[in-house]
Parts: sequence; structure tokens; C-alpha cells
Amino acid sequence: MSPANPFTRRKDRIDELAATAASPSGGIAEAGAVDEKPGVSLIASAWSRLKRSPVFLLGAGITLVFVVLALVSPLIAPHDPAAGLLLDQVRPQSNPVPGPQDGFPLGADSRGRDLLSRLLVGSQQTLIVGVFATITGLAGGLSLGILAGAFGGWVDALVMRVVDVMLSIPSLLLAFSIAAVAARPSQVTVIIAVAAVQVPVFARLLRGSMLAQRSSDHVVAARALGVTERAIVFRHMLPNSLAPVIVQSTLVLAVSIIDAAALSFLGLGNPNDRQPEWGQMLGRAQTYIYDYPHLAIYPALCIIVVALGFTLMGESLREALDPKSRR
Amino acid sequence: MTTTTDQAQASPPNDEGDLLLDARGVKVHFPIKRGVVFDKTIGHVYAVDGVDLQVRRGETYGLVGESGCGKSTLGKAIIGLEPPTEGTVSIDGTDVASLKGSELRRRRKDFQMVFQDPMSSLDPRQSVESLLVEGMRAHGLASDGKKTTARLRELLTAVGLPAAALKKYPHEFSGGQRQRIGIARALAVEPKLIVADEPVSALDVSVQAQVINLLEELQGEYDLTYLVIAHDLAVVRHISDRIGVMYLGGLVEEAAADDLYAQPLHPYTRALLSAVPVPDPEAEDRREQILLAGDLPSPSKPPAGCRFHTRCPWRQETRCDDERPQLRVVEIDGVASGHRVACHWAEQIESGEIQPQVVAPTATVGDLLAGEADGSDEG
Amino acid sequence: MTDTATTPRPSRHGDEPLLSVRDLSVTFRRQGEEPFTAVDGVSFDVRPGQTVGLVGESGCGKSVTSLAIMGLLPPRGNTVEGTASFEGTDLLRLPADEMRDRRGRDIAMIFQDPLSSLNPVVSVGLQVTEVLERHRGMSRKAAQPVARELLDRVGIPDPDRRLKDYPHQLSGGMRQRALIAMALACAPRLLIADEPTTALDVTIQAQILSLLKELVEDTGTALVMITHDLGVVAGLCDEVNVLYGGRIVERGTRHELFANPRHPYTNGLLASIPRLDGARGAPLTPIRGSVADNLPWDHACAFAPRCSQPVDVCTAQTPPLEESGVRALRCHNPVR
Repeated sequence: MSPANPFTRRKDRIDELAATAASPSGGIAEAGAVDEKPGVSLIASAWSRLKRSPVFLLGAGITLVFVVLALVSPLIAPHDPAAGLLLDQVRPQSNPVPGPQDGFPLGADSRGRDLLSRLLVGSQQTLIVGVFATITGLAGGLSLGILAGAFGGWVDALVMRVVDVMLSIPSLLLAFSIAAVAARPSQVTVIIAVAAVQVPVFARLLRGSMLAQRSSDHVVAARALGVTERAIVFRHMLPNSLAPVIVQSTLVLAVSIIDAAALSFLGLGNPNDRQPEWGQMLGRAQTYIYDYPHLAIYPALCIIVVALGFTLMGESLREALDPKSRR
Repeated sequence: MTTTTDQAQASPPNDEGDLLLDARGVKVHFPIKRGVVFDKTIGHVYAVDGVDLQVRRGETYGLVGESGCGKSTLGKAIIGLEPPTEGTVSIDGTDVASLKGSELRRRRKDFQMVFQDPMSSLDPRQSVESLLVEGMRAHGLASDGKKTTARLRELLTAVGLPAAALKKYPHEFSGGQRQRIGIARALAVEPKLIVADEPVSALDVSVQAQVINLLEELQGEYDLTYLVIAHDLAVVRHISDRIGVMYLGGLVEEAAADDLYAQPLHPYTRALLSAVPVPDPEAEDRREQILLAGDLPSPSKPPAGCRFHTRCPWRQETRCDDERPQLRVVEIDGVASGHRVACHWAEQIESGEIQPQVVAPTATVGDLLAGEADGSDEG
Repeated sequence: MTDTATTPRPSRHGDEPLLSVRDLSVTFRRQGEEPFTAVDGVSFDVRPGQTVGLVGESGCGKSVTSLAIMGLLPPRGNTVEGTASFEGTDLLRLPADEMRDRRGRDIAMIFQDPLSSLNPVVSVGLQVTEVLERHRGMSRKAAQPVARELLDRVGIPDPDRRLKDYPHQLSGGMRQRALIAMALACAPRLLIADEPTTALDVTIQAQILSLLKELVEDTGTALVMITHDLGVVAGLCDEVNVLYGGRIVERGTRHELFANPRHPYTNGLLASIPRLDGARGAPLTPIRGSVADNLPWDHACAFAPRCSQPVDVCTAQTPPLEESGVRALRCHNPVR
């Protein structure tokens, strides 16, 4: 009746994703005419579909460029991103931000450091924050999810109530609180704060699809066969529940980059600006946002494009792994 | 009532024959729970409500009934996938219903299951080889690599698949082939009893016969005992030696396969058999159907007395409503019929002493539409 | 359309066909996949008061045939060729809105899964009255008692209460009855039933089949019965089309077809199913392989790899459909 509140909607979405993992068979059985080549595992056939998806290729392309840039940026950056090379041009009143000039195509920031170099090298920090936050969140979520999904019963109830409480707090607020609690903000606190937000999402997702697996025929069959509970969880339930989690991680990569940027923007990020990071650059730019919007626009654009890349990849991955989408 | 020759010896097996499966007083009740914080039990689904079932070694016992009659739940209770609320299930002398944890797990070697949907019952991420080896490994049958390989080949040959199948994945097979893999998986641990729950109903008609024949061949080859659960009466009749008919959680009739079909004694069995369409126009034109009124009552609120009385055309006042009939050997013309029937009036119905109530035919659909058509003619 | 109900029951054969399907082909095209021809030149006629069966296994094209006739295939990703003329109008060329109008009024369809065909948030009564309002121009007030009557006639007990029920409150058999009531509400001249009893228990199936039979006899509605169950066909259909791999491989009246099946597939099907009335004990004679083994029809008989009596020409030439009267057969080496 009432419009779904964002909290339940989010929960529904996670559960829906989880449900896609429950029936990996999809519509193959019905027709019998879908003949795939011998010895092709499900992953292989999903991959062959992915390779043909233009959305995936675009997303993967963006992501690849980003990762390569992050790796080689210290080598290709024209200047040291921490060196105030144009500091002599900075005049706090008349010219706080040096403009583009020879050797400095994008100009410099308010401390005379080359903007292009900072953007390039910033990709590294952004990638580190995104990847580690995702991995940490994934690890936490997977442990909780496996615990809940494998045991069920009161373990499940307990874990899930905790998870629900975490989900009911708006995610950014949760991240802010965690980051603010830390005595000295650093890169590590940013990663932890961003990861904590993702833990309940992953936990709920995995638990949902594990529970769906729990009552699935092939798990019952393994049980009837006398396979040990442990082997059932790790050989049958977990591998068949991972598809939505994998999809979610690519989406989370995008989200954590944005979240980390938001934390930096609000001053809860890494205070050490010798290591540039896009969110932090965006945060620093707010002082000059009216007069020198390009300081904000460049890092913002970078964040948007990279987040888009991960999101496109995640969505096409979801489509490829979704049994309903192939027939 | 011409009983066919070789099956006529089927008498209640309680005291004779070598019983492999002996289930007594099996009840499976599922609690219905409601509640926000604490779940409160507000009722029960009486899925299986007091069933005695005996299966002799080497025999095929068929369990038929419509959806919701509890036949699948009974099958799961027998092989310890659904712990019975009450009752004992003894397989080869051990009460498996009382076993738990690893003891039960180890005993599973003796009883296996073949599932209805061969696609969903095979883990899509495992190759056929790992599917087959898994059970062997769980029971310590796969310690010697060479022997294991030989055994895998033997299993595949037994179910009619090429050895190349080992490296493939379930989704690369047709439905019938997948069911063969499911059967091979059950065979891998050398079981004594196989419970087959709707083993062919998910398969194409042209493939069903392959699997039925395969099951019959394997029975001789590996000394198997089958409990076949199915809704298709023709399939069950073909494959079974003895048949039990279930209705709403209880057995209502049990007899040798041919006897049951030649002379059904319980009103529900009669209705069920009369409802099955036969692929023969001549027979179809002659067929006299006993149309049952209404639907199966909810197993959470089973009717008092005889469970079938709400739909029974032969229902008699008060006794059928009040007293739940027990399975008993029915004598026809003073001779024990070999049927066990849970009906108060089986003899009287057979002799014609009690006649079915005829459901008054309603006015025809045509009358109704003709009337309407006169009234509104715009179309 | 009113005269169907008022004139005496039309004679079964020899009338002008109500629906005449000619060379119907449906090809599915999916990005990155080979086009797949699900229905491949299917032709058949349905006369008023006649029940025509389309029989075959999953993937034989029987359901796609009916969906194509009803204009219910998804608009993208497929091509439909051929004609399906309903009293001279080609349904396949009809604009979508006209087809929608026809679908309620002249042609109705019932499906295997009655739950997904009913609107879950509208009461059953309202769904039936809506059909009456829309297709028969009745006022809601006038429609209500008729809806009640309809539910009563299709054997739904306590129709007053059931009118207020929502689909999920009804059992499977009741839902199928409610759907049939909706189909009847517009007094269709053609009813297409796609596996209407497959999801139902055998005693409920018997109720639904006898309801359909009664309907055809009483109203002269033509019925296209799509099923995989030869038993259902044997009791219900005047004329039976056996489909295999998207083509009709054999056709006959039910008595002819069952007494004298000539295509090895039909013959094999009949030999492979266990029968309640047959002798017991002998092993069944299965058809080997599965539909996955089919050959393409282009230069062969699709069934050849599974056939019990193939000859050389079976894998070299497409067998034509040879017709004589009602009977038709597509086989190089028929049985007997």
C-alpha cells in the first residue's frame, strides 16, 4: 500500500539477486535443443555470452584503462604530484590557482602541484581504497553469510538481526560514524568505514542464496547420498550461491570509490595529501568551486567514469549469470 | 474380479517374507508457524498421518496418490531426509528414524533416492565424474584410484551412457540422460533400497519408457528393492509388484499390482482408476468415470472420520464421518482378497449393496450461453 | 456470432472451417545464436464444434503454434510466416488492437498454469464480469448474476463466495475452472487449450476434461487441444495432429490414428507408454534418444536418428506430408 521504503526496497533487491542463484539450470531443460559444446562448465558458457555483450566490453574497457593507469601512473605522470612546482605563481588574492601552461596542460592546484599528475597518481589511491574496501566488505559479509546460511536456525536469526540493524542505518551515515570514531583519519580508516557498510549487504545476499540452495534438490540429493554437511556447504551450497555475490562486488567497487570520495570530501579521509586521491582532491576543491570549478570537475569526472565502468561490468555480469536471461 | 495368475499370492506381508523396509506408525507433521519476534505454532500440516509400510527384499512397491497426499513426504521420511514426528522406519533391521548425525549419514549407503527433476537434483557446477565419485568417497568406496575409475565406467555402462560423459556437465545432457546420471549416482554407493520419487514424470513421454526399462533391468542386476512414488497410475502399475494408494496422509488401499487394477475396492481407488485417460479411443468411449466432487481437503484440516468422506460417492451416514477406518484385509465372497483396504463398507460396495450417489448434472453450459446471447447482442 | 448458440448444433464435418492455418512457420532469432525454427509449415483446419488435437513432446512446436495464432508471441526476436484465417480474416496480419479485441470475443485461450493467467490482485468475480462488460457490452450490474451463473456452470461450488475470492485462494482445479468460466464469458467460437490439465491431478483432470467436452457439445465451440498426453487426446479429439520437430508428421481421426498409427513416431509413442488396460510384465518398447538428436528437416527426416525402421532415403530427403482426406502422413517408410 504505502510506497516501499528504501530500506525494504534495498532488502528486496538483495533477496531478488540471491534468488537468481537458486535455479542455475534455467530454461535449458525445456527445449533440449540448446546444445552447448561438450565439457563446457557454466562459468565458461557465461563467459562466452559475456564476450559478446557490448555493455560488458565497454565496462571492462573502462575498468582496464583505469587499472593500467593506476599501475603505471607514477611512471607516466609528467611531474611529482607532491611537489609544488608552480608554487611561485600562486598569489592568495589575485591568482590562487595557476592555470594551464607549458608542461602543465591542466594547470596546478592551490599549492602549485601539477593537476594532471595528481589525477593520474590519484587513480592508484582510489583503486587501493576501492579494492581493499570491497575485499574487506566481501570477507566480512561472506563469513557472516556462510555462518547464517550454513547453519540456519538461531544462528541465522541472530546474524540476520544484526545485519538488519546495520542495513537500517543509511550507509553513508554509518560510514561517517565509523570514520569519525577513528582517532586519526587515515587511508585505513577510510577503507574500514567503507567496507563496514558493505558487510551487511554481502551477508544478506549470500545468506539468501545459500538458504535457497539449502532446500534445492541437488543439496538434498547430496545429503541423501551421505555427503558430510561440511562438504555440502563448501562444495555445493557456496559455489552455487556466489554468482550474485560476484556481481554485487563489481557494483560495490563503484560504490566504495564514491563513498571514499564522499568521506574525503567531508574531511574524514586521508589527511596526508602528498598521496593524492580523487575524493580528497574533490574535497579540497570546494574552496574554489565558484571561481575554479575545473579543480572539482576533473576528479569528479574520473570518479563518475570509473564508477560507470564497474557498474556496466556488474550489470552485464548479472545478466550473463542470471539463468532467466538465457534461453 | 478375475485375478491374474502369478500375482495372486500377495497377502499382507506382516509376518512372512524377508522384509527390507518395515515402517510402522509413521507420522510427519509440519508445524505452521506465525509470529513477528517469536514463532508460535498455530497448527500442523498432517502430511503423513499414521502409515504402516512393508517392502520385501527384491520387490518393487509403488506408492500412488495425488499431489498433497503425502507420498513424497513419506518417501523422504523413510530415507531420513524428513525426520518422522512419530513411528519407526526399520531398514534391514535398523531403525533409521532414531539415527542422527554421522550415524545416519553412514547408514545412507543402504538407501538411496532418485529424484523427480534430474536437472535440479544434479549440482550444475560439478562434472559427472565428481558427482558420481562424491557418494563413493563419502562412504570410503573411492580409496583406490584405479578401482574407482573402473567402477565409474561400470556405472555409466550400467545406465547406458558412454564413458565420455564423465567429463561433461549436467546441462550438456538431455532430460533422460540426466536421469540416468541421477540413477548412476544412487547406484554408486551400492544401496539396497532405492526410493524413486516421480522418476519419470519430468521426462518426455518418448523417454519415460527408457528410464522405466532401465530401472527394471538394474533391479535384477544389482538386487535392488524399489519404492517408487508416482502420480501416474499406469507407470506405477507397470513397474510395481505391490501398490499402496495414499489419500490425505494415509494409505487407503494396498494390493498386488494386477489385483488393484482389476478390482479396486476402496472408493478412492475406484475413482482414481476411472479417471485415468487411456490412449485408446474405443476404451475411452466406453469408459465410465466416477467423477469426484470438489478438491482434496487441506492436509492442515483433515476431515474427521474417513479422510475421503467429503468426496466419496458411497459415503454412509455417521460412521464414515465419525470413525477413521483402519487398513484391513477385505474378504470378497468369503475369500480373503489380498487387498488391504481402509473403508468401512468395502464389501458392501463391491457386492453392490451400497450404490453410489449420483451427482445431479447441472444445466448445460449451452443453455446458459443461449440465454445470454438473447439478452445482449451488441457483439 | 449469436447464431452459434441459437441454431441447431452444427454438423461436425463438411462445414466451412472456422480456423484455417496454412504453412505456419515461426522462427526465433536470438543475438549470437543460430535462428531456430520452432514451427515449420504447419497447416490444419478447425471446424465449428470440432475438437482438434495438437500432440507432441516438449519442443515439438505445439505451444508456439497456438501462441502464434493468438498473436501472443513476444513482438521481437521472431518471424511468423503463413496464414491463420479465422472466417476469412488472417489473424497473423491483424493489427495488435484488433487482435486484442478478437482474443476476448471470438477466440479464447486457457493455459497450463491457471495462476499466472489470472490477475492476482483482482477478485475472480470481477475478472469474469470485466470480460462480460468488455466483450458482451453488459453493464456491471447485469454482468454480475451472469458471472455467478458461469462459475456455477463450470462446477465451482458456492459461487457467491468464490466471486469475492482472489486467485490464490482457489485450488488449482478451481482456478482452471475460473479461467474456463472467463473464456466462456465471451462465448468464444474457438477455444485453444494449451495443456489445460497437465498441472492438475488425475481426478481433477477428469472433471476439467468432461467440462470441456460438454462445452463443445453444447455450444458448438471449436476446440484446439494441445497436449502431450495421448490418453487425453483419445477421449476428446475428433481429429489429431501429431507434431514432431515443428512439423506435422501424422494426422487422422482419433479412431483411425490410434487403431492404425502409421508414422514410426506415433507408433513408437503408443508402444512406449505403459497402459492401465494392457498386459503387464513385458518391458516397454522405448523410442531411442531424445529430441536433442533430431536432424534438421532440410535434407532429412528429423526423426530419422530415433526411428525404429529408418531407410537410406530418410537421411537424404525431406519426407513430404502426403494427405488423403483427413489422413496425412510424413514418412518415407511408414509402419505397415
